[in-house]
Amino acid sequence: MEEAPKQSYTPTEKNDIFNNEFLPHINSMYNFGYRLTFDQDDAKDLVQDTYLKAYRFIESFQQGTNAKAWLFRILKNSFINDYRKKTKEPSKVDYQEVETYYNSEEVDRQITPDLRVESLKDMIGDEISNALNSLDVDFRTVIILCDLEGFKYEEMAKILDIPIGTVRSRLHRARNLLKEKLSQHAKSMGYKNTEL
Amino acid sequence: MTNQVNPFILADGKKPSCMEMLQLILDGEASAEQQAYFKSHMDKCAPCFKTYDLDITIKELLKTRCCGDSVPAGLVDQIKNQISLNKAS
Repeated sequence: MEEAPKQSYTPTEKNDIFNNEFLPHINSMYNFGYRLTFDQDDAKDLVQDTYLKAYRFIESFQQGTNAKAWLFRILKNSFINDYRKKTKEPSKVDYQEVETYYNSEEVDRQITPDLRVESLKDMIGDEISNALNSLDVDFRTVIILCDLEGFKYEEMAKILDIPIGTVRSRLHRARNLLKEKLSQHAKSMGYKNTEL
Repeated sequence: MTNQVNPFILADGKKPSCMEMLQLILDGEASAEQQAYFKSHMDKCAPCFKTYDLDITIKELLKTRCCGDSVPAGLVDQIKNQISLNKAS
């Protein structure tokens, strides 16, 4: 994300920015933290750490710009630099493989011909959430940013420090993996139904 | 319509796949021209037609089923208190 010129805020302005531009995103931030760590305490720590950093560096935030994207970027960096190092969880995604996949003829392959809208709508419990949670963290992240939070590709590229082309290819792969999980679940539902 | 230039064609001349076009539509990243092209493309491409419905449904379900949890009670106050302490020190 490009460096914005440093702002100068009075204490009242700082509090206004914090309360009116940063705090309204706290539920989304907590959801993001929880879906990255799957632990309520770790999610709380990540959110608290993010807000403390945002306040400390508030003068590098330009009022009226995209506060939500800035906060998500701080949380993502805290997760990678602090949490991931602490838990020693390496990234499992082979990006070369992803790029190759995306640029291959395979890209149009219909991988889940048996997944139907009707079976998705029958999933009334936690199936969708569980399928999302089962994806590797980098794939999970792009789906959270795009589909849950509605960020544009350009914003995602800035949050994740990756080119827009990589956002698109990672998102494409993530969605295919999600469909595979949902398809497996739909099959298991069908199997159970025939048993009953 | 059949001779219409595909507005999804990239600067390098590479023709995008159906799935690449669909993704741009789904994520609201397509221009008005691209949206119009894809609408007419879907009339002739059954896999796109089917996948479009499926992908829209998944996107909607993700939004409704995986959002909406509130932050634990007390966290906002905890953060504000910590900021006050940091200011005082």
